[in-house]
Amino acid sequence: MTRSKDLDIIAPDDLSAEVSTKVDEVVQSPKKKNIVKTKTIPEKPPIVDDFNQKIHEILGHTKHPFSSFLIHPKILKFTEQDDHEIIYLAVRPHWITNISWFLISIAMLFVPLFFKYFTFLNVFPIQYRFSLVLFWYLITFIFAFEKFLTWYFDLFLVTNERVVDIDFNNLLNKHFAEADISVIQDVSFSIKGILGTFFNFGTVLIQTASEKNQIIFDNVANPQKIMRLLKELRDLEEHQGENL
Amino acid sequence: MNNLLTNNNLEFYFFGITKVFFVLFAVLYFIFALIVVKQVTSMSRSVSDKFNVVLVIFSFIHLAFSVLLILIMLGL
Repeated sequence: MTRSKDLDIIAPDDLSAEVSTKVDEVVQSPKKKNIVKTKTIPEKPPIVDDFNQKIHEILGHTKHPFSSFLIHPKILKFTEQDDHEIIYLAVRPHWITNISWFLISIAMLFVPLFFKYFTFLNVFPIQYRFSLVLFWYLITFIFAFEKFLTWYFDLFLVTNERVVDIDFNNLLNKHFAEADISVIQDVSFSIKGILGTFFNFGTVLIQTASEKNQIIFDNVANPQKIMRLLKELRDLEEHQGENL
Repeated sequence: MNNLLTNNNLEFYFFGITKVFFVLFAVLYFIFALIVVKQVTSMSRSVSDKFNVVLVIFSFIHLAFSVLLILIMLGL
């Protein structure tokens, strides 16, 4: 079947075939302006592209939700986040820091096996002992759960505008600290001990010119990468400042 | 007076008091479980991630078990 080439009587399904070759004509035709919508994708300035490339080179690529080093986490959001704010990096304490509470929790699971050796418990009927065991397992669960939550929500975020530290301690206390990239004066890090050296985690110290002049991130993975990223962000900020 | 201190009565008082303590602990634990639910919900709102739903579900399961604990303690 021959398709019409006349744009005034063109069928809607003809457009898909025509659009690629006749875009200029369609846009110029006042009748077809309403039918054809051309998407305009804003071009990123080259400096941003370069910067994204640099970030990729520095940080690499991890997307696992339980990772202690999340790069460009698309799903992660925080309440204080601005609309245009992009999270470059979300860091939790290194997973190896969880090993102590994890082992304690495993040990706690086996404690009820030793209840029979506590002779004073034999005084109680079986229902009492059962409820005691249930209570013990609830305590074990909540101990592990609380430790996990404290780790999971202990976040250090690097965005295109600022660095953010979010902590929840013992489920009851929330701590939020932030510093704009522009007020960061100095960044340093330290790796201590055998575990820190072996698993490459340490403390990142950020000196700022704001009222709260220090932000500290303890036990974060890859502190060198974080320092490099912050340096790049500061350079970008300065470069943009000069261009303005 | 002697009747009050027979073995059966002592046992009754002992387990009665123990039960009261158990129920009291279970109620306190239930209140704690409620706080945990509240806090996990609040944390999840504060920092949203795809795994948060699972955490909230866990906190509710924990709450359900604390209710079960109260029921078991009351049934002793």
